[in-house]
Amino acid sequence: MFYVSMFFQYASQYLKTRLTYRIDTVIEILSDLLFQAVNLIFILIVFDHTASLGGWNREEIIFIYGFFLVPYALFSSFFNIWDFNERYIVRGEMDRVLTRPVHSLFQIIMERMELESLFGVITGLVIMGYAATELGLTFAWYDVLIFISMVLGGAFIYAGIFISIATIGFWSDSRTDIMPMMYNIGNYGRYPVNIYHKVIRFVLTWILPFAFVGVYPAAYFLNREEWYGYAFLTPVMGIVFFSISYLLWNAGVKRYRGAGN
Amino acid sequence: MSMYLEMIRVRFLMMLAYRTNYYSGILIYSINIGAYYFLWSAIYGNNEEIQGLSVLQMTTYVAVAWMARAFYFNNIDREIAAEIKDGKVAIEMIRPYNYLGMKTMQALGEGIFRLLFFSVPGMIIVALVFPISFSANLSTWLFFFVSLVFSFIVNTQINLLTGIMSFFLFNNTGLIRAKRVVIDLFSGLLLPISFYPLWAQTVMTYLPFQAISYIPSMIFTEGFVGKEIFNAVLLQAFWALILLIPIRLLWSLAKKQLIVQGG
Amino acid sequence: MNVIEVQNLRKEFKSYSSRSGLSGAFRDLFTRNYKTLAAVDDISLNIKQGEMVGYIGENGAGKSTTIKMLTGILTPTSGSIVVNGMNPHKQREEFVRTIGVVFGQRSQLWWDIAVQESFRLLKKVYRVSDEDYNRHMGHVIETLEIGPLLDKPVRKLSLGQRMRCELAAALIHNPPLLFLDEPTIGLDVLVKLKIRKFLKEINEQYKTTILLTTHDLTDIEALCERVVLLDEGKIIYDGKLNQLQSQAVEGKQVEFEFLTEIAKNNLVFLPNVQWEQKDATTWLAHVNGDERLVSQLISLVVQKNPIKNVRINEVSTEEIVRKIYEEGMALA
Repeated sequence: MFYVSMFFQYASQYLKTRLTYRIDTVIEILSDLLFQAVNLIFILIVFDHTASLGGWNREEIIFIYGFFLVPYALFSSFFNIWDFNERYIVRGEMDRVLTRPVHSLFQIIMERMELESLFGVITGLVIMGYAATELGLTFAWYDVLIFISMVLGGAFIYAGIFISIATIGFWSDSRTDIMPMMYNIGNYGRYPVNIYHKVIRFVLTWILPFAFVGVYPAAYFLNREEWYGYAFLTPVMGIVFFSISYLLWNAGVKRYRGAGN
Repeated sequence: MSMYLEMIRVRFLMMLAYRTNYYSGILIYSINIGAYYFLWSAIYGNNEEIQGLSVLQMTTYVAVAWMARAFYFNNIDREIAAEIKDGKVAIEMIRPYNYLGMKTMQALGEGIFRLLFFSVPGMIIVALVFPISFSANLSTWLFFFVSLVFSFIVNTQINLLTGIMSFFLFNNTGLIRAKRVVIDLFSGLLLPISFYPLWAQTVMTYLPFQAISYIPSMIFTEGFVGKEIFNAVLLQAFWALILLIPIRLLWSLAKKQLIVQGG
Repeated sequence: MNVIEVQNLRKEFKSYSSRSGLSGAFRDLFTRNYKTLAAVDDISLNIKQGEMVGYIGENGAGKSTTIKMLTGILTPTSGSIVVNGMNPHKQREEFVRTIGVVFGQRSQLWWDIAVQESFRLLKKVYRVSDEDYNRHMGHVIETLEIGPLLDKPVRKLSLGQRMRCELAAALIHNPPLLFLDEPTIGLDVLVKLKIRKFLKEINEQYKTTILLTTHDLTDIEALCERVVLLDEGKIIYDGKLNQLQSQAVEGKQVEFEFLTEIAKNNLVFLPNVQWEQKDATTWLAHVNGDERLVSQLISLVVQKNPIKNVRINEVSTEEIVRKIYEEGMALA
């Protein structure tokens, strides 16, 4: 309960800051839209030259992409702590965080939240809507609940992976480019994993399970029954990966060396 | 001049110091190339060739495009933005060197490091795993390296421009991100330009982005032949020159701004 | 009652040294030279409620590392810490609600939003009730004279203004224990005086225990009865400030400024007095003795030579500390 009210406190502070810098907010939303458009363009161009991708047609791939955008938007709004090392470890902001009576990870998530990324939810729903109409998909009432749990699962998988990577900062304060590259790898979960070599498929399923933030859960709504097993694993994977990152974080805080000295 | 060489050297040493970065980088680039290889194999399906490129050429294209990226890619736009925000730029201005020149040299040091310790070993590893064709033609290699230098110049110029924009925007992260996305798509890193619809290709000839990735990669895969190579490199040189103009303009504006606001 | 109880505290850092040159850097890529350094080396310390303790030492002596362990930011390598009856690192979230921390070099406030917004957020973070907040903070805001600053964003404040706000922010939950790490760094004298006055006040009013590190020893002189001196991770002195002064300084200095140039053989020679020439007309006498010897010396010198000025130098804490670090000190 305390954490919920803290969330609203931080969110209202965030909105106040954002209203002060309106132009930046608009630019940020536009750059998000651009990013989403670019990926869509990629799919469209690829399908200019082929009719199917590993047995999936254009609208199906577009649907997967639309689905991906929803958990990704939740992730970007709350867990996008790519500059954690730079900002909190190197510059020593972590000292301040650790002198406050709220869990350190929660504070950092709150401080780094970017609510404007939530627009991605809308983009995702629109894209999914388009693809679903083209494919003539139908949904049952409980599909809404399934959708929500899979979206949350996906967002927590992303969060778990990025938080785990951020904790590297506790062990080594050297700069890493892992974070930006991880965004690239995240993209591969948006394509049917059956096109990849089994090593990559294994990585995308169990090591960096980005396939659970795209193709696996989307397969459920696309009625691809051969993938249902994986699809329903999505929330479980979310809980597992987020828990791992939480444990890593707590272990990391113990190793924190402080800044400057 | 020796001062700038020193900067290259220092940045080179800095890169060597970050070894976690080094190991993880090789791994991640390999995964990237691997994933794209399979993605393209699936796209090709049973097609022998698309837009004049065979599967083999396409794989080579993907591999070389990523490895070249390791050379031309840098974060100086973000660095400049950060230095402006922290007010460090004002201090840099009173130092006896050209700030932008110095940033470029730092980027070059970083690029050379990655080229030698990253792209070359990485390319060898990738060539062992995936089918990749290396040209036996010396002039192809020669043109490739010339064109790689230009791709570094053009990309760095665009980064400088984006960085300088921080003088005029309060928060530049949105623009920097947009730039990165645009470059990935329009430079030909994700898709060869020849795959785009014709009208889009026409638009892109008026933009500097294909000088960054498409041209060196096409030269390497011998997707360009004969006069095409020559024209392509010329186009890169043209953009490298043209981009100097907005940099100059914005930079002098930025300096005025700095004097007025005191950083 | 002890607020802070520290026993055999030790903190080690592992660091690596870089090899020089390009080939060295390349070798570092594969193997590195590691070494272990003890930043804090076997420290034991007790602080009672209501004490104001100055924690001093040179850069790298281990001051900040100790403070960071006491505030739960760093985990100790070994030894035990009990602060406010808790283990700072283990019970971090519960523990930090009972302390206030100010890092002079680092802002606790949010850069982009108005000071009062930061206060409001912190009030929630520390779960302070409205009545408590109004009663306590009204007074703090008044004493620190920051009322007019509350609606300004932090980035628009001067250093002195910001520092006063930082101090107020650290006191929102009225903690019984306050850690101040370089709170007056870079501030002008007026702001320093204001802050010192304020600290004295809360110490008297609420019996707030204060642990203070600073480079500016006048802070310590003004505030602390007790000092803890740290060198290379070890405590080399822990006791009263005035005792440190009398123990560390054997004797006094008397500076004579003569009207004319004076040769050394014209001076007065007594046992336990050593002369040192500062310039043509000025001599410095190092007197190893008490006030009687000093007055004897002055009267003898004045009789013999025309004098423009005589000054008895009080040795400042700063000089004492410098002396201790330069010469080492055998204190019990």
